[in-house]
Amino acid sequence: MSRATALSRSRARSMNPRRTRHGLINTSLGRGLIQLVSVAAVLALWQVGVEMGWVSAFMVGAPRQILKVLVDGIVSGSLLVDTYYTVVEAVLGFVIGTALGSFAGLALWYSPLVARLTEPFLIAINSVPKIAFGPIVILWFGTGLVSKVALAVSLTAIVALIAAYQAAKTADRDLQALLLTLGADKNQVFFNLVVPSSLPAIIATFHINIGFGLVGAVVGEFISSERGLGHLIFTASGLYDLNTVWAGLFMLMLIGFLLYFVIDFIERRLLPWKEAATANAFHV
Amino acid sequence: MAQDIQLRLRSIRKSFDGQNGRIDVLKGVDFDVYERDFVSIIGPSGCGKSTVFNIVAGLLAPDDGDIIYRHERVSNLRGRVGYMMQRDLLFPWRTVLENIMLGPEMQRLPKAEARDNAMEYLNTFGLAGVENAYPKMLSGGMRQRVALIRTLLTDPDILLLDEPFSALDYQTRLYLEGVLVDAVETFNKTVILVTHDIDEAVALSKRVVVLGGKPSQVKSVHQIDLGSRSPVGARSDPHFSEYFHTLCGELDIQTKVKQ
Repeated sequence: MSRATALSRSRARSMNPRRTRHGLINTSLGRGLIQLVSVAAVLALWQVGVEMGWVSAFMVGAPRQILKVLVDGIVSGSLLVDTYYTVVEAVLGFVIGTALGSFAGLALWYSPLVARLTEPFLIAINSVPKIAFGPIVILWFGTGLVSKVALAVSLTAIVALIAAYQAAKTADRDLQALLLTLGADKNQVFFNLVVPSSLPAIIATFHINIGFGLVGAVVGEFISSERGLGHLIFTASGLYDLNTVWAGLFMLMLIGFLLYFVIDFIERRLLPWKEAATANAFHV
Repeated sequence: MAQDIQLRLRSIRKSFDGQNGRIDVLKGVDFDVYERDFVSIIGPSGCGKSTVFNIVAGLLAPDDGDIIYRHERVSNLRGRVGYMMQRDLLFPWRTVLENIMLGPEMQRLPKAEARDNAMEYLNTFGLAGVENAYPKMLSGGMRQRVALIRTLLTDPDILLLDEPFSALDYQTRLYLEGVLVDAVETFNKTVILVTHDIDEAVALSKRVVVLGGKPSQVKSVHQIDLGSRSPVGARSDPHFSEYFHTLCGELDIQTKVKQ
């Protein structure tokens, strides 16, 4: 995912407008306009479909009512409170899970023996759908914030752990050899080679894990909660209030979207050498 | 002229686990390296050149045999050797200067002094101004120069070079061979060069060690006496082709048309 956006970004930057076929359209303004018009068209079609009776407003909701729910929710603040809880749960779960997993995965580099011993267990744990832990997690950690964070941690930690361990394991052997001949000890090899060379792979999991953080938070709220967007969606769907369900989904999408760009920003800050220009850039 | 022996390899043996049991690679390798020597190790591919190299570098332990360094038995030469390979082995996330500073950093030497030293080398090698660039912004020749500076900055007793220039174009390569020979003379370094390139071995070396056989042993050692040791000068020396043909013969390469 991150690679795709990085690619499109570098392409947009370096394309010579005179030599491309889509000169006027392929500017950030042109692309944004097309995207905006497409969304508006879909919403308009939906609204018209509901008003003409082609589809049932009861079963699919209607854009105008969804907008009303969104505005009312924001004005009264209730939607913002739900959003706030879900964001806090997801981000906490993401940060704690990703950090724990990444550190553990990197640390396994130190001992191939421990790594080999734990590998089958990691695969076993990874093959269980973590969502299935939901009920137990609620039993252990209650119906409050902690259980949602715990569920998000269980989803994100294993992804980060496996990615970090794989990256650490494949750290360049020749570079290790070089460091050893320069007189480096094991810790120096770890901090000067293993960690930085694993960083791109670890950061790549951020994009996946921020999504998993939201999954953990929302599913936790589905199972048992008093607040949050998952709670809002779950209760509204029980009442066949499709407009509120859509409003909740829209907020979730908005959160995911914003967090994605935050991660993208962090990625560029942490890996400046990946962004550096090269003399051999080419277009396909 | 009697020369002091700096490094002595005695009956070095090494075998590896292969698919069909142990494979002997080195069967008692013996040779000496003098102070300020320039020794090339050549041999057919797969003869264990790189194994010898890694044993001297301290990256592999020999199964048997002695490494004697200035009259003392040592287990390896880690920290005393500088290591350069065909790949430049620059760290992509470090700038040129940070790459060069790796040695002093690993040995926890004072930073400011090492930094001044590094900047001086960068100037001497025509790399002033790129110290804050990342390696991927540089050309292959520039990167290999950075790698050479990194090697020299640690002030090693012996430079270990494993085909350091074989990925470069011929022009860049001649240039860097010159840079290397100059640097070695200026800083009084000993060099062990592993190469498959007989041309390069003759042009640069004072002595050439030929490995051969399966498992490998030292087949012969050749003294090279050319009037000039600059890359182009050596290659234009009237005796150059003699050495070249002799060494090709050692490796069973046919170089002369039969009459």
